Amino acid sequence: MPTRPKRARPAERTVLDNGLKVLVVPDPTVPLVGVAVVYNVGFRSEPEGRTGFAHLFEHMMFQGSAHVAKMEHSRLIESAGGRMNGHTLPDLTAYYEALPASALELALFLEADRMASLSVSEENLRNQVDVVKEEIRVNVLNRPYGGFPWILLPALAFDSYPNAHNGYGDFTHLEEATVQDSEDFYATYYCPANAVLAVVGACTAAEVFTLAERYFGSLKRRRAPKHGPWPEPRLGADRHRAVRDPLAPQPAFAVGYRTTDPVGNLDRYLVYDVLASLLAGGDSSRLRARLIYRDHNVTEIACQLGTFGQDAFFVRDPTLFQVIAFHPGTATTEALLADIDEEIGRLATDGPDGRELARVVAGSAAELWRSLDSLLDRAHIVASVETIHGRAELVEELASRMATVSAADVAAAAADLLGQHRAVLELQPAAS
Amino acid sequence: MAKTATTITTRPPIGRLIAPTAPQILEAALPGGAHGLIVRRPSVPLVEIRLAVPLAAEQIRKPAPVSILSRSLFAGTDRHDRAALAEAIEDLGGSLDAYVGEDRVILSGAVLAEHLKALLGLLVEVLSSASYPPAEVKADRNRASDETLIALSQPDVVAGQALRRRVFGRHPYATALPSPTALRRVDDAALHAVHPLVLDPSSAHLVLVGDLRPSRALALAEEAMAGWAAAGTAPSRDLPPVVAPRPGPLDLVPRPGSVQSNLRLGGKFAVLGEPDWPAASLAEQVLSGMFSSRIVANIRERNGYSYSPRSFVRHGRAGSSFTLAADVATAVTAPALVEIFYELGRMATLGINDEELELARRHSVGRFSFETASLPGLATTLANLAIRGVDLGFLTSYPKAVIATTKAEVDEAALRYLSPSRLVTVVVGDPEAVAGPLSALGEVVLRP
Repeated sequence: MPTRPKRARPAERTVLDNGLKVLVVPDPTVPLVGVAVVYNVGFRSEPEGRTGFAHLFEHMMFQGSAHVAKMEHSRLIESAGGRMNGHTLPDLTAYYEALPASALELALFLEADRMASLSVSEENLRNQVDVVKEEIRVNVLNRPYGGFPWILLPALAFDSYPNAHNGYGDFTHLEEATVQDSEDFYATYYCPANAVLAVVGACTAAEVFTLAERYFGSLKRRRAPKHGPWPEPRLGADRHRAVRDPLAPQPAFAVGYRTTDPVGNLDRYLVYDVLASLLAGGDSSRLRARLIYRDHNVTEIACQLGTFGQDAFFVRDPTLFQVIAFHPGTATTEALLADIDEEIGRLATDGPDGRELARVVAGSAAELWRSLDSLLDRAHIVASVETIHGRAELVEELASRMATVSAADVAAAAADLLGQHRAVLELQPAAS
Repeated sequence: MAKTATTITTRPPIGRLIAPTAPQILEAALPGGAHGLIVRRPSVPLVEIRLAVPLAAEQIRKPAPVSILSRSLFAGTDRHDRAALAEAIEDLGGSLDAYVGEDRVILSGAVLAEHLKALLGLLVEVLSSASYPPAEVKADRNRASDETLIALSQPDVVAGQALRRRVFGRHPYATALPSPTALRRVDDAALHAVHPLVLDPSSAHLVLVGDLRPSRALALAEEAMAGWAAAGTAPSRDLPPVVAPRPGPLDLVPRPGSVQSNLRLGGKFAVLGEPDWPAASLAEQVLSGMFSSRIVANIRERNGYSYSPRSFVRHGRAGSSFTLAADVATAVTAPALVEIFYELGRMATLGINDEELELARRHSVGRFSFETASLPGLATTLANLAIRGVDLGFLTSYPKAVIATTKAEVDEAALRYLSPSRLVTVVVGDPEAVAGPLSALGEVVLRP
């Protein structure tokens, strides 16, 4: 076993009367704390005609609240020597900061104030619509491979609005967003009972529970909204779409398969994660070894779960198993897909060998520990896993649960990919 | 419900500004002359590894061979072929890659703590016996060339290259990415020739940070490094000093049809570890180096011109440079530049205020704490300090120096390094749309 048993970092939790879940994972090895508030709403829940609203709203959460002026949130955190950020995913929106331990109370005050009394003005909304449009220009419109494949692959692989639409949003929808939309979204989704507060680092559970009660305890109890699930049947036929990217110098493609339910059937879902690593994790993985280093037909290839890969363990059903490849065009997409099918087929028939499986488990354990090393990331990961799975402890259990995956499990998951219809999104470069 | 909700409206204090405790570093000369730096930090059961070597001027000016070397280093050794080497590293829950910085090569990896010895063994195996199989080298250079094509299609990369040429002029640091053509000319003979010149134990720094016992890790490092001997006389690594760029017209790099313009301003900057570094760094943060900076407040939060205006300082062995970057909608290219020049000029002529000084001091000390709090952050920081020859006492003295810096010192540094007249400007954008408005602000030269 390459993953020695860990000194466990037990999570302690309480629920306030208003329904806010509070989670503490003390770690005395650093003089810092990480604080995250994760709201159980992401872009799958945004209204039709308002694509991109969940993310736009995330920007509004930094625009001031009853006792915090515009730009003051960041000023207070930075002047405490801290840093902060936020992000919006299909199923959640996360807000987080890391600060010296002495500023813990400040962070809780700031999070409570924006949960209690966000103030959105017309001026601030228009300003942030402009900022978000620039964000989309930087990340999508003005660069090669922008938004590939996370914007268009779900649109091809799914049919229902929640699963298929563009979470960054159409410019028209962003421009039409109103202060009233913002107030409605806030009233529906941003209540204590729809949130998890996590504190990690140099603190004690007792201290955090007391402070949480002090700052969040007076917030009114409101029923958590009911939204989702948004199940969709698997595809009844293969789907294919080609798009042209005039900025891209070389072709690329992405393949979307369906996995099992990441929450209801986590142990089976972990098999797909192991399969992704076997296929394209390290340089010894099957697709990388073959297509990059043996055949030289691919420049870069990766497999990932979830929408962005990093969200594999805080996404709900339905979600995708993705294979993403960039290549110089020395082989056709069809030929490369046939190679990929052949490798998946070999795993479906023979399964991985023991050393190969152990290697992937060791690699996943190291990657997991690496992702938890930064307190800022640890805080939002812990809160996100609690939000989606109801058990933050999973974070530290994933490696040992992966270690129980057998060769037969992998073979079955590989057979499942081969046996289903898939969505293939091709990106074609500028006509030369 | 009658229960009155009383939200707490008074702000809790932000806490005293305390300089963080510097890590305890075990330093030692290793066999072959390498410099070892070892830190125990048991936050997660991993060890981060860095091995840094400086590049000579010649290798910086002609970057193609070193660029391919950084890939083909892992293409095979006297004991493993490429696939077996990758398997051996990954069996340990390990990773190992090489990166070429502006004047250094850094081998960077991490491993599950109990496998440190084995990963050090593989590291030294690569350093001492990389075999550069011709077919693998050929494949690597083709892939490198493809990746360079993709990099050069990114406007951010194009802007960075253009600014580098403008800021560094004739200095080796002006060198752009190696061209696809130059990369495709590199062969295995070239790599065998350059390997001993670059990867020389006597100029290497080995950093180990993580869940380890320092004395035991030192013994492992000594044992491993004994297997890596110098294979010849390494060239001089001396570089000419960086000099301030000559001010001049704005360089416009045409990108027809671009929906955004990439604005880049740059210049020479204070050197980390020198007496004026804390003040210069504070000035940079007030201007654009944090979210609550003047540039972010103006062009993002007031005008909505840009998503992530930012600045950063690069520290080379030969000198440091400042870059201010903002990607803005094409239509507001010139207005955004006006606002940037306004903020630069305002700071150079009026200085900062006491509130900003306090904010920047606290932010600096906090940022420094975070940079050295994570394993990869601390390992990279130590490797970069070591390769620049900065005394490690810096880790203790820097936060104290920041706390002691005065407004007059920051104002002087802002005038010296951030005055509009000291900086050069590069814009990547649609010439038809932006050349006219930009010309209203000053001379514009097209640089295709």
